[in-house]
Amino acid sequence: MSPLFLRVEPRDGEPFRHELVGEAAVLGRSSKADVVLADRYLSRQHARLFLREGSWFLEDLGSRNTTFLNDRPLAKPTPVRPGDVIRLAESRIVVEGKEGTPLSPPAGDGLVGGADERLPESTIFRSATDLLAGPAAGADPGGLAGRLRLLNEVHRALAAPITLEALLDLILDRAFAHLQPEEGAVFLRDPEGALVRAAMRRAPGLPGQPLYSRALAKEVSEKGLAALVTDARVDERFAKAESIVVSGMRSLVAAPLLDSEGCLGMIVLSAKNRLHPFVEDDLELLAALASAAAMRLRNIALSEETARRRLLDRELELAHDIQMAMLPRTFPDRPGIDVSAALRPARSVGGDLYDVMADGERIWLLVGDVSGKGVGAALFMAVTKTLFRAIAPGSGSVAEAVARMNRELCRDNERAMFVTVFAARLELATGELEYVNAGHNPTYRVTAGGKVALLAGPVDPALGAVEAHEYRGTRLRLDAGDALVLYTDGVVEAHGAAEEEFQTPRLESYLADCREASAERIVQGLLEHVDEFVGGAPQYDDVTIVALRWRGRQS
Amino acid sequence: MEIGEEKAGEALVIAPFGRVDSVSSGELERHVVGRLDAGARRVVIDLARVEYISSAGLRVLLIAAKRLKPPQGALALCGLGPSVRTVLELAGFMSLFAVEPGREQALARVGGASTT
Repeated sequence: MSPLFLRVEPRDGEPFRHELVGEAAVLGRSSKADVVLADRYLSRQHARLFLREGSWFLEDLGSRNTTFLNDRPLAKPTPVRPGDVIRLAESRIVVEGKEGTPLSPPAGDGLVGGADERLPESTIFRSATDLLAGPAAGADPGGLAGRLRLLNEVHRALAAPITLEALLDLILDRAFAHLQPEEGAVFLRDPEGALVRAAMRRAPGLPGQPLYSRALAKEVSEKGLAALVTDARVDERFAKAESIVVSGMRSLVAAPLLDSEGCLGMIVLSAKNRLHPFVEDDLELLAALASAAAMRLRNIALSEETARRRLLDRELELAHDIQMAMLPRTFPDRPGIDVSAALRPARSVGGDLYDVMADGERIWLLVGDVSGKGVGAALFMAVTKTLFRAIAPGSGSVAEAVARMNRELCRDNERAMFVTVFAARLELATGELEYVNAGHNPTYRVTAGGKVALLAGPVDPALGAVEAHEYRGTRLRLDAGDALVLYTDGVVEAHGAAEEEFQTPRLESYLADCREASAERIVQGLLEHVDEFVGGAPQYDDVTIVALRWRGRQS
Repeated sequence: MEIGEEKAGEALVIAPFGRVDSVSSGELERHVVGRLDAGARRVVIDLARVEYISSAGLRVLLIAAKRLKPPQGALALCGLGPSVRTVLELAGFMSLFAVEPGREQALARVGGASTT
């Protein structure tokens, strides 16, 4: 037989643990009892636990106010098991199977039982909204005065700004002043809708933790009902019901924190003092307090939400600034070339990128577009851009540089992010161009004669997708006066009215007019064209354009 | 987004419906990854009812391809409409996938049973 332990929570003393040994143990107020409980309402020898055929049984020893096992009065010797709760007068004993569980229950939501547990029939439910409509005819004028006074106090206190903690404190403070409970708790719904105990207050000297029925909480918070449980312990019907009130409470009022938007939680007050069980006036008062508090709670929740959103906005703004700062605004000032670029993100941060850098007598160009949108794409963009700066200068060829970037981007890329890029390198002296297209929109070449053509060549996979891929470079020699226009799909897929896209023919006809324009004019003019096409519609994707004109060898 | 599914012997056919864009691709990703985590090793993704796929959607196909690399797994795509095919071609991804015209051929490709 495994040993049994008792976690004893006497009314008037500190909780302690007792191991059941021998054949029997008498529980009572007498110092001669085996388990002595400091509880003035206990009989001297109140109950007895005894061993029979390997099991521990509990019997009442003819006590004044009987012995309860799991909230049922004990009629005959009954076996006890770990998890059972014995109640003697105002003291509570929990039967445990092993030593070492903490004396106070672990901090949870403060709710026990199942949501479909039966509530005692002595429970009275009232619609909180009806209660607030005003006292019924013939209501106690004293109760009305108390309610008005309470509301006045609360409204006065709530006129000033208040934190959530201070508000919860105020609610419990006013509830204790007007309703004199022994325990009170405020439960709030968390974002998932579960009730969580947000504040609790108890009269000094009470053992254990107050725990409230989940079934009751469900009724109150989901149906917006205020509940009154009168002296449940003396209610005969209570014996048939499952435990609603665990820690020996006998009277309880609960009201939902209800406003026009819905229920934010509930307030529960409980009292053991049998001389003053709660009455319906108390319920009205609590419902009024809860309603005043609910409005303010909603405001606090809203302003916290606003503050969170503002913080997030600021973070995104910062990310936007950092991302934009990664893109060059000034371009290599070399004789013989004219370069310009622009990137316009659709959101605060995006996945497009470009770069233009000098490497001796060469110029590197890069335009890219990361899969997806938002912060993830922005981070991948930053990595791509950084790799390009680190790898490209000094590389033997564009294909080699792109292959190295790809290997780095494939590393630990569990989320299968990828970036399409068009990378190119121009020899300033000769106009010789090498380029790689890794899944990107092909670049346009606008000749001095006004001919617009795509740069031909193989399309290799976007970077980050295939680790061992051999990227293929294509070479060609520019003629003096030729311009290159690199861009991302945000240009050609810009949505105009009626979901129509900008498309390449529009781009090509624009470029055909650009044979003499400066690089900056090409870029800005294209942005204007796209803007005009899109009209007022929100920008759907990042838009990036890079233009470079090679004027030929300058001596 | 609606995602159809069919078991064909050892193989699993996943058939998304509609647009696979940056919004709906998250749902498709969770679905596909869920099936892979549950042990699916022979998978056909039937794109016949997909009218548009964005780069975020391609990412989901890539995840499936990475996790179903032979010999541990097998993945085939089928039912590519012109728009989906273009997006795959533009990203340079056609060579990464076993692409078949119809479901039957795709199932044969991954070594699954025929559905007829």
